[in-house]
Amino acid sequence: MRSLTLEGASFWYPATESPALREVSLEVAQGEVVALVGALGAGASTLLLVAADLAPRVTGGRLTGSVARRDRSGIVLPTPWTQASGMAFTVWDEVAFGPANLGWPTHEIARQVDRALEQLELVPLALRDPASLSGGELQRVIIASILAMDPGLVLFDEPAAELDAEAARALWRLIRLQAKEGKAVLLATSALDALPDVADRVVWLEDGAVRAVGTPELLADVAACDAGLGTSVASVWRASGLPGPYPLTVAHALQRWR
Amino acid sequence: MIPHPPLRLDGVSFAYGTVPALAGLSFSIAPGERAALLGRNGAGKSTVVRLVAGLERPDDGTVWVGDWDTRDCAPERLARRVGSVFQHADQQLFASTVREDVRFGPRALGVREEEVKRRTDDALDDLGLTPHAAHHPYDLPPALRKLAALAGALALEPALLVLDEPTIGLDRALCARVSSALLERSAAGVALLVITHDLTFAAETLQRGLVLDRGSLACDGPLAGLLGDATRLEPLGLVPPAVAALSAALDLPGRPVRAADVARELARVARGRPAP
Amino acid sequence: MTGGRLHPFTLLAIAGALPALAWILPAPRGGAATAAVALVLTLTPGASPGLTGTGVSPGWRPGLVVLRTAVLTAAPFWLFLLLLHDVPTTIAIGLRITTMVASFVWLVAALQPARLVEAMVAAGWSASVAYLLAATLSAVPVLKARARRIVDAQRCRGLSPRGGIAARLRALRALALPLVLSALHEVDERALALETRGLVPGIRRTPLAPPPDPAVEQAARWALLLACLFALFRRFL
Repeated sequence: MRSLTLEGASFWYPATESPALREVSLEVAQGEVVALVGALGAGASTLLLVAADLAPRVTGGRLTGSVARRDRSGIVLPTPWTQASGMAFTVWDEVAFGPANLGWPTHEIARQVDRALEQLELVPLALRDPASLSGGELQRVIIASILAMDPGLVLFDEPAAELDAEAARALWRLIRLQAKEGKAVLLATSALDALPDVADRVVWLEDGAVRAVGTPELLADVAACDAGLGTSVASVWRASGLPGPYPLTVAHALQRWR
Repeated sequence: MIPHPPLRLDGVSFAYGTVPALAGLSFSIAPGERAALLGRNGAGKSTVVRLVAGLERPDDGTVWVGDWDTRDCAPERLARRVGSVFQHADQQLFASTVREDVRFGPRALGVREEEVKRRTDDALDDLGLTPHAAHHPYDLPPALRKLAALAGALALEPALLVLDEPTIGLDRALCARVSSALLERSAAGVALLVITHDLTFAAETLQRGLVLDRGSLACDGPLAGLLGDATRLEPLGLVPPAVAALSAALDLPGRPVRAADVARELARVARGRPAP
Repeated sequence: MTGGRLHPFTLLAIAGALPALAWILPAPRGGAATAAVALVLTLTPGASPGLTGTGVSPGWRPGLVVLRTAVLTAAPFWLFLLLLHDVPTTIAIGLRITTMVASFVWLVAALQPARLVEAMVAAGWSASVAYLLAATLSAVPVLKARARRIVDAQRCRGLSPRGGIAARLRALRALALPLVLSALHEVDERALALETRGLVPGIRRTPLAPPPDPAVEQAARWALLLACLFALFRRFL
């Protein structure tokens, strides 16, 4: 079942001539992880804001084309410190902030918060003051906060930016788990090497328009490698002058090599 | 060993109140050396940066910047020898143009005007910021603001650069700019200490790996050997970057970790093999 | 622990009554009394800055930080008054201003924004309005933390707080401007971000831990209001 459908969506930020999104058509189904890749400024963040119904409603600007949403959405922004409520004593309270704002009964809030804390491995930090957390810890708390609101469509903008390797790996596993639980996930990331294991589909954005859509195999295409959007393994294979098709991951490369 | 290396930590211990952060840390960095400071979040890396910049004094041991003991120096004095860039450095920008902001550092050091201009121009040029030099910092996207903050440290032309996560939020093209700017400075004798969890960037740009684990030095050696070795990295919370993992998996001669070197070895080995 | 135990509305009532009384009661004794009360409040443990998670134990000394903030903020006003007025007028107005400043500084330190939101929502206010008020108060520690980061960063670029007037003004510019610019720049992002946390008008927020409001405190608040009205009445009779 489709959770999010964009058809020919174009978006202009207030007082700008050139559109940030051009005629973007995209579908995200429940249980699917779709990754947005592209250079900085290609429009991934804007697309996520449109999907979250924050653009143009809160950002201002103009949207043409159609956007249809089936589920409530939750978005994790690339600047987690701006999403913190700023008034929670503890991490538990911070994660409960969202559900409380939605007016849910206390037992339901407790259930969602405890589950989210467990999923993000934050239980040891539950009583810490959010202001004393490191960047990576705060990013995980914000992710937990958004998941605790039980959105059907989960949007992530560079969620692993501040995370170390272990936390990043745990995050990718969590994202796959969200999809398995039936959520629709749309994710903008520059961590291309992680995508073969995380994403079902990859959408390549360039200058606000969709340049290509496909499975993660897309990241091993000649075009992607030349644009700096190939996985590390594919890019290095291309640079070596060996013939294509290029392997996507180390495992693929090992198979080819034998 | 050089009498006064750009940076030397001697048995440094530090705690935030009752929470220990570093225990008996010792290492030194030579001129032109490029060291990566790695480790899990919370291992103590940012604490090292604060100690080197003079914002904190060690509880035990000494931090030597050249022949200066950081205990005797205020951060503004240490700025003559150390250029530090912290996380969220883009929040420190205030001048009306990028150029003005980058000039701030060398001017504060009391350098002659022509020298200020030269240092500013070089720093902007090295990071490809010259086209944006006349813009207001907040008119630039966050990634370029980060570069502007880095340019400010480069303009100080210190003997030692200490950077805390310089590549977060940058795409490959901008990472490459940072990489080449740092390599150039290193070739001119500047010592580098870079905290990063981007091991791909570390593989491309840095040579030595200092891995912190719960406040002590768990590893100190060439990155080339370290990055391909999953069994050493795993317990420290690190994962080999894809290119290094490829190099190890295919058992390429010399186990290179830089993309260009791996590509070259791949080509060589492939040529030498019998056709399938 | 005044901040921890008193109901947020009581804190607001005190922070409002003290300056009101300072201006209503005859100078200089009225102002002196209220200023003294306000300054003593800044020393109470409830006013100590948030210390959880840092391993530092709360106590009497942290209260000095708040007192010092209040005194330093009020000091420039005394300077200006001295330039403009004679000594008795300076003292009269200065004490009133000190009361206002100290009350506000104490309020910001003692009032925990989360408790205020909970109290307002429990009393029937909409979550968005409650949050707006609380966010204004909670902006202070966030800005303080950022200000410290900016001071550190600029010092590491060679900024020296010493030197002549020109140097100090330059220093101030390098510290104040980034704070203001980055805060303003983030206002848009913050508004966006808060939307993502479910702050939508029309939904009744579930109180997580509404602060208790004992009858004693409610009575005390009414008493404060009556005291102000009484003093006002007497002043104009």
